[in-house]
Amino acid sequence: MHSHTHPSSGRSQLTDLDRRSFLKTGLGGALILGTVSITSGLSGCATQPAGRLSDDGLRMKTSYQFRFLTGDDIALFEALLPAIIGPALPEEHQTRSRAVVGTIERIDAGIHKFGPANQRELRRLFDLLTFGFTRITVARVWSRWPNATTAEADAFLERWRTSRIGLFNNGYIALTKISNVAFYGYRDHWHLSGYPGPPQYAVDALPQFQNA
Amino acid sequence: MSLTDRIAQGLKSGWNVTDGASLAENQSAEADVVIIGTGAGGGTTAEILARSGLSVILVEEGRLHYQKDFKMDEQSAYANLYQEGMGRVTRDGAIAILQGRCVGGSTTVNWTSSFRTPAPTLNYWAETFGLEELRPDAMAPWFDGREERHSMAPWQVPPNINNDVLRQGCEKLGYSWQIIPRNVKGCWNLGYCGVGCPTNAKQGALMTTIPGALDNNARLFHSLRADRLVMKQDQIDHLEASAFASDGITPTGIRVTLKARHFVVAASAIGSPALLLRSDIPDPNHCLGKRSFIHPVNATVAQMPQRVDPYYGAPQSIYSDEFNFRNGIDGPAGYKLEVPPLHPGMSSGVIPGHGESQINNMTGLPHMQSVIALLRDGFHPESPGGTVSLRDDGSPVLDYPVTDYLWSGVRDAFHTMAEIQFAAGAEKVRPMHLDAAWYTSWAKAKVAINQLPMAPHRVRLFTAHQMGGCAMGSDPETSVVNGFGEHHQIGNLSVHDASIFPTSIGANPQLSVYALAARNSTRLAQRLTG
Repeated sequence: MHSHTHPSSGRSQLTDLDRRSFLKTGLGGALILGTVSITSGLSGCATQPAGRLSDDGLRMKTSYQFRFLTGDDIALFEALLPAIIGPALPEEHQTRSRAVVGTIERIDAGIHKFGPANQRELRRLFDLLTFGFTRITVARVWSRWPNATTAEADAFLERWRTSRIGLFNNGYIALTKISNVAFYGYRDHWHLSGYPGPPQYAVDALPQFQNA
Repeated sequence: MSLTDRIAQGLKSGWNVTDGASLAENQSAEADVVIIGTGAGGGTTAEILARSGLSVILVEEGRLHYQKDFKMDEQSAYANLYQEGMGRVTRDGAIAILQGRCVGGSTTVNWTSSFRTPAPTLNYWAETFGLEELRPDAMAPWFDGREERHSMAPWQVPPNINNDVLRQGCEKLGYSWQIIPRNVKGCWNLGYCGVGCPTNAKQGALMTTIPGALDNNARLFHSLRADRLVMKQDQIDHLEASAFASDGITPTGIRVTLKARHFVVAASAIGSPALLLRSDIPDPNHCLGKRSFIHPVNATVAQMPQRVDPYYGAPQSIYSDEFNFRNGIDGPAGYKLEVPPLHPGMSSGVIPGHGESQINNMTGLPHMQSVIALLRDGFHPESPGGTVSLRDDGSPVLDYPVTDYLWSGVRDAFHTMAEIQFAAGAEKVRPMHLDAAWYTSWAKAKVAINQLPMAPHRVRLFTAHQMGGCAMGSDPETSVVNGFGEHHQIGNLSVHDASIFPTSIGANPQLSVYALAARNSTRLAQRLTG
């Protein structure tokens, strides 16, 4: 069915692995997903939105109130964003964490507007990635996310991008799309894509900008 | 040029507009006609009925946003003006659905392209669905009227570079191209149509028919979702609706009951079948929600030697129909070629990638050019469309299986788009596909595109045009409404939006919706006032 040659090396090996492990866990995977939501439900607070983040040294203190992302989800994105945004993130520690936290806040705000149906899908995806058993067996990430290196995060993203399993591709697109839009679409990062912003003459002339 | 804000003025002058978020207690209201949806179909219907002296209530689930909110900013616009905060996708997640959710519907956020329904499409409808009365000659006066109402005319300003690349490529290869008619008045040529026109130049429903209806005493509820039409014997008795808070998302628990003699559903090709399904409207032949069409869109991006600034200037001004009908109306899938605007948020979400390769893609934005192909679906037995159904919570979801017939159209379109971009001088071209790389010549791109697997998710697909699901036709066995949008089974129910199209259009659908809604509303007004 996919008899073409892949442009990147090592692809076919990964593909076969993906296919084998998926076939093996196939139905099991669905059961695992069920397990995740039941487990999360039992443990009570696992899927509660994180609310306001405390200043624990790594995360910046902000007034943002999280509505959807849990503490575990935030840790997931803290691990993934250095791989997704990569070299576009600032180097300096403080500015870097501010950019990461700001992006996670905008991801949360965006997901709030996605509405309940998308939120249920994303909850399943995030639970799958943050629940230890499925993180290891399905996402094949051995470290807990707070301990995962950028290389591990990138390897995970590459596996899901190149996988021949549509569900994993879909997960890859979901994770990277919300992150990319929240990062590159934000005015403080417009310069990274060379986008000068709305024409200044229009901003100067239009009434809706005059009170800002 | 005028900076008159029709909406701010109207609100000041005492228009009857209710923000659902502001309601503190349940209430009911009554009118001759309740119209669900304020987009191309609902707005047109409201204005025509209100002008004929009928009392009209408009219901919109999105919020009333207008010039004060239109700040040329992608993130706030996607969050507030689009369905599901721009996160709407097909059931399997493989196709992104761009659709408006605000007063004016998709006409508030579309790219202003204004095409008549192509004659081959109307003739196909006549021959296949018994819609003889919609032949091109019969529809011409309705197109004329709507072109005038919405100030539609071929764009007089030179195209931006993004569009001019499509023109140049077509010119070099001997492919036909044309200038796109746009619905604008005093357009500043800024490039922000997709995030709400900042200058009120766009003559969508928000600047034309909605004010026209409100000037004629129509009442508008926004931030209010139509939940169910409730039947009494064989007629619809009332609409049950529920309010959203000012975030547009959180239900407030407030319920509104709206009674009327007649109900017009114009809630889009996803929203209208969903409302009828939730309402258990008779559907003896199981046509409801079936044959949903989307003009599946695929895209390529090019790196040009010259600066393109694809975020500035009228987003769509050049198109090519070279490949749209060349295989006949019902041959191998045809496609219309257009250009999308590229702002940083949209681009970073459309171009799949992460890490170093993504920042490399993004830093090229000022030199980036893109072509899109809109596949004409629904004209072939192997293009039966998708299905709108309800999730457990009553919200709609579109299932759209992409058939091999369509995939071969997608691959053809990748070839055509890359060929055109290289002919126009592109340095490199990348199809929007998870396996595609940047190709540095047409020869290399050609070989690579032949190898790309045509599979969901791997091919990045989009739709900005949702059609069908409440198909019109002369035969009640195979359609939901007749050629006037009148429901086959329910006497006081009409459908006036893109959901009644029995196939896709083969062009951006706003003018098709305006024209049919104008025609069907004129008849409805005669019926109800007669």
